[in-house]
Amino acid sequence: MVMACRVINKRRHMGLQQLSSFAGTGRTFLGPVKSSKFIIDEECHESVLISSTIRLLESLDLTSAVGQLLNEAVQAQNNTYKTGTSTLLFLVGAWSSAAEECLHLGVPISVIVSVMSEGLNSCIKEVVSLQVPIDDVFDHLDSTKTFSGLETFNISLCPFLQIPSDIGLQKEHDLNDVASPSLTTYSLSGIPVKSPKLFRRQTEVEADKNTLQNPQTLKNSLLAGSHYRKSILIHSRHFNRTANNQRINKPDGFLEQHGAATPNYRCNDLVELEMGLSHGDHNSMKLVDEAVRLQYQNASIQQGNCTMPFRFDISRIFTCCLPGVPETFSCVCPGFITVVSISNTTLIKELENQPVRVILIEGDLTENYRHLGFNKATNINTLLESMKIQQNSSEEVWTNDVLQVLMKFNVNLVLVQGNVSEHLIERCIHSKRLVIGSVNSTVMQAFAEASGAVQVTYITQVNENCVGNGVSVAFWRSIPSDVIDRINVITIVIKTEGINLVTVVLTSPVTAQMQTKEDRFWTCAYRLYHALREQKVFLGGGAVEFLCLSHLQILAGQSLSKRNHVCSGWLHNTSSWLASSLALYRPTVLNCLANGWHRYLSTLMYNTASCSSEFEASTFIQQHLQNARDSGSPSSYILNEYSKLNSGIFNSSISNKLEQIPSIYDIIIPKIEAWRRALDLVLLVLQTDSEIITGLGHTQLNSHETEGFLFL
Amino acid sequence: MSRLEAKKPSLCKSEPLTSERVRATLCVLKGILTSSYGPSGRLKQVHSSFGGCVCTTSQSSALLSNLPVTHPILKILTTSMQNHVSCFRDCGLFMAILCCNLIENVQRTGLTPTTVTKLNQHLLSLCTSYLKSESCGCRILVDFSSPQTLLCLVRSIITSKPACMLTREERDHLSALILRAFLLTIPENTKDRLILGNSIIVPLKGQRVLDSCVLPGILIEMSEIQLMKILPIKKSEAFKVALFCASLSGDLSDTGEGTVVVTYGVSLENAVLEQLLSLGRQLVSDHVDLVVCQKVIHPSLKQFLSMHRVIAIDRVGVALMEPLSKVTGTQPIGSISSISPSSYGSVKDLCPAKFGFKHFLHLIPYEATICSLLLCNRNDTAWDELKLTCQTALHVLQLTIKEPCVLLGGGCTETHLAAYIRHKTCNEPESILKDDGFTQTELQLSTEAFCSALESVAGSLEHDGGEILTDMKYGHFWSAHAEAPSIVNWPDLLSRCGCGLYNSQEELHWSFLKSTRHPFVPQTYLPHEATGSADNLTLDCFTAKLSGLQVAVETANLILDLSYVIEDKN
Repeated sequence: MVMACRVINKRRHMGLQQLSSFAGTGRTFLGPVKSSKFIIDEECHESVLISSTIRLLESLDLTSAVGQLLNEAVQAQNNTYKTGTSTLLFLVGAWSSAAEECLHLGVPISVIVSVMSEGLNSCIKEVVSLQVPIDDVFDHLDSTKTFSGLETFNISLCPFLQIPSDIGLQKEHDLNDVASPSLTTYSLSGIPVKSPKLFRRQTEVEADKNTLQNPQTLKNSLLAGSHYRKSILIHSRHFNRTANNQRINKPDGFLEQHGAATPNYRCNDLVELEMGLSHGDHNSMKLVDEAVRLQYQNASIQQGNCTMPFRFDISRIFTCCLPGVPETFSCVCPGFITVVSISNTTLIKELENQPVRVILIEGDLTENYRHLGFNKATNINTLLESMKIQQNSSEEVWTNDVLQVLMKFNVNLVLVQGNVSEHLIERCIHSKRLVIGSVNSTVMQAFAEASGAVQVTYITQVNENCVGNGVSVAFWRSIPSDVIDRINVITIVIKTEGINLVTVVLTSPVTAQMQTKEDRFWTCAYRLYHALREQKVFLGGGAVEFLCLSHLQILAGQSLSKRNHVCSGWLHNTSSWLASSLALYRPTVLNCLANGWHRYLSTLMYNTASCSSEFEASTFIQQHLQNARDSGSPSSYILNEYSKLNSGIFNSSISNKLEQIPSIYDIIIPKIEAWRRALDLVLLVLQTDSEIITGLGHTQLNSHETEGFLFL
Repeated sequence: MSRLEAKKPSLCKSEPLTSERVRATLCVLKGILTSSYGPSGRLKQVHSSFGGCVCTTSQSSALLSNLPVTHPILKILTTSMQNHVSCFRDCGLFMAILCCNLIENVQRTGLTPTTVTKLNQHLLSLCTSYLKSESCGCRILVDFSSPQTLLCLVRSIITSKPACMLTREERDHLSALILRAFLLTIPENTKDRLILGNSIIVPLKGQRVLDSCVLPGILIEMSEIQLMKILPIKKSEAFKVALFCASLSGDLSDTGEGTVVVTYGVSLENAVLEQLLSLGRQLVSDHVDLVVCQKVIHPSLKQFLSMHRVIAIDRVGVALMEPLSKVTGTQPIGSISSISPSSYGSVKDLCPAKFGFKHFLHLIPYEATICSLLLCNRNDTAWDELKLTCQTALHVLQLTIKEPCVLLGGGCTETHLAAYIRHKTCNEPESILKDDGFTQTELQLSTEAFCSALESVAGSLEHDGGEILTDMKYGHFWSAHAEAPSIVNWPDLLSRCGCGLYNSQEELHWSFLKSTRHPFVPQTYLPHEATGSADNLTLDCFTAKLSGLQVAVETANLILDLSYVIEDKN
């Protein structure tokens, strides 16, 4: 065993270069318009279609040390927040180039580390001014309880597929204004609107008209609906909270503007938030919206008079994917929807229309299953005393035992978290009992709560207390039978009174897109979840990043003579000479950091096709930066531009056509954490000067690889 | 038929240190160690060629814990460093770098190993007696009435580990947390002997560092579903606890060798389960409220217990057993056949807790010297480093309670000590020379080797090409920009000394650390006022550093004294 050690930081920093090349692969995933990628495995000729960072990294070879660190950082972000990974990946690339640039310019590493780290801190403090507080959107929902009728609305009844240019509009309209048909006219006006990027250019607006027929553009566009009219007022939120509350308490202005508006304007708050957070993915967000509403209604019914604030519980949302079914059949339903084999058809028919008793099994339901931590003794032989040949195999005996228990407690439905013995399933079908395996643990928990069943590990543990009551099993017929027959399964819905479980049925005609669709649904769901939890959001569409960029440039330009003492605090080690020479290097490092933001914004603009080249985007951003600097306060410049954008002044040519452009929102903590993680990773790699590989023999390295390695 | 192979002769090498290969590898090792030293030290990515996670670190313990080195001389060095680190947790790099420096410097002097080792011993005892004496100018007595010194000590330790990736705010938050966690382990009432409790570090990866917190008592992690099952917890005055280290899973793992023959119809599993259930009945009749098991509890037993409103928690793991037994005041039960009523313990309260996305059951004891430090960091690498750092800091605080003083950090102790030794051997050489008949020259050469080894350790703190100076009054450590003009106004260029005690505006004279200078008397007796006011000092653990110094000199002596390496090649 030998330890090898390689210096990775001699002339060029290999680690940083690796980071930027890894990060380069995810560039197209930045922003609302994500281009999909095909990843092809040359060895087994399998290919996979991906359109998210997390799936990309799953398919990349990240065995190098730096690759592993990158993967670790992205996974950590994903596991904690389920969002922000594309931002993380992009910024890792942008900032590792920035750090490398600083190295080339001869800035000491410790200075890069402390200035970049404190520079980002300063940005994070600065962007607080772009936070938008969310008020209790569910209080507003409350008042609409009487009208909503949302749960009766079923998307599958509306075959929009033929008129693609209106899908989004129609859906949105139906979703929110079922009870007010008077609004239909302008909801259906069919005016496409592009994402309200802060840096929207006039020429693009013209282009919008031409892309009318392109459903792809439409999908990514935001909609001109009746719900976004009060946008100007939104911006009073930045200035203080009370002004904002007044807006809610005094809807007069709003009513004046739009006589047709119904009291559901409060409800619009949630819709507005969802619109802002959808980032162009309306189909997914629509499903999230329905799921939230279902949960809310369920909670209101369960609580009765008790007024606990409603909390969006994302763990009680369950997705059921049906590949091969047209996209329009995606929908949201209360209860547990699942797919069972076609052989259960008669059984389901029998179970329909009667309350069923249920038991919940935590482990597998097989003869040989033993709970975790149970070690089977291998050296036990069973001795047969008589020569009587056993008629039944032990499996048969066990199956009979299980059936007896089911009969004794009159149980017709068994939900099992693990696997189920095939033989048992068959026998159960004959005795009119449905056994479903591989059930998600939150589904089990939801049934345990709603039906009173207690989860057990073994069937022998079942007693009367463990059995749940009042469960209904039925065919789920929201998808026409001819469609569902084609994919050769049957879908059933299992629910019980007051169950806190919502199933989102995701469909896609293209099986390869199923995963993407599910990912996108969860992205939207988590965005809303985080926003509601934090009770505030950022102004999105690049506003936050733009403020960071201009803030850093201003910081870099500031003379340090007076602030010397402040900055020396930026270094951990204040007594080092680096503290006193910080002033020398600070502007360089801050500018490099700012360049990272610049690249982020221009890539974002390029990806969303609002610019034909990144260079064009870059000059456009420069222009805005100049304006922001001239205005004296970048944050108020952004707020002004944003409200202009919203009231249509910014783009005067469209103001007469568009009612409003809705705001785009971003979630706060996941975004900021993604920034921090990205910078942490870059700085970690930057400070690394050698790679130590243990357990390596001389022979394991090829001769050309040995170069640069030192052996101990 | 067995085959016998002729034994190979042992390999014997003389004067191992003169070998070019040994020098080269020693040099590489020294390079790795010095480049990792201090708050701006460079990090190392340590990983195995067989896969597994990458560890990014600059700490000696993580760096060398699984490092196989081939040469016996390197093995001596890394082993003594690991021994030092396992006892003191801090100052591992200091020890190893000093040792390397000493070996290098001594080799250059050309003195015989016997002379050098003896002289080194003398110089070492000069150091230790000075550091322990009242007159020591680089030692501060800890004032336990204010947290300032201890906070500075913890902060210095955290600052010296850059791979933790903390911002200043996060560092300050954690320093305070660690100190609080340590204070919670000190019992309120002590009779004759102080027995410290311990702090359990609970991982909460992926969350923000600022979400870290300290709680008295023990947190047992469990899944949300598990927690839901035991809720609501019935309230009572005290909770009677049974703590099991034996497995209650109902398996027959101890059937031993051979085969067990069982008659058809007899189920051993059921027999064991019946035994477990009778255990359960006893627990219920003894009014136990909480059953905690290190291993697995059989689901049927769990069900039985929960039917009788007894909370059952299994799979808590071996690491929590000792703290649990301390908190509940009982010994873990090792058998399932019988329980004596005396083996039950108790806790004051139980409550569910949620941090980040993890769910815990919080055990609150009556008299707590056990606390839980929930430690958050953004990613695994940084978390692992932070955990080691916290353990170091907690250990250092324990050492500081035993020996209530700290040393000035940031390189100042090393330069000050070197100045003191130089002055001592120059002005009072008699005390050393009289015993063993060394010549004045030998002493001088040896002193120079020793002192410059110490000074180079301090110099290793600089990684960005800066210049190191020392002042001629206190003998402290100062750093400056390398490209400073030749005629400079030093007070303006320098700001503070390494430990932060003195600033450059005093009337001081500086000289480059590498240049030769006349020995001077560094100011001894650190005035109390000087240290009381300073709130941002860099400090080192006294015990760990003193031991590091001793181990470094002893190890260097051992290595220098080696004349043969005999290897058994079989």
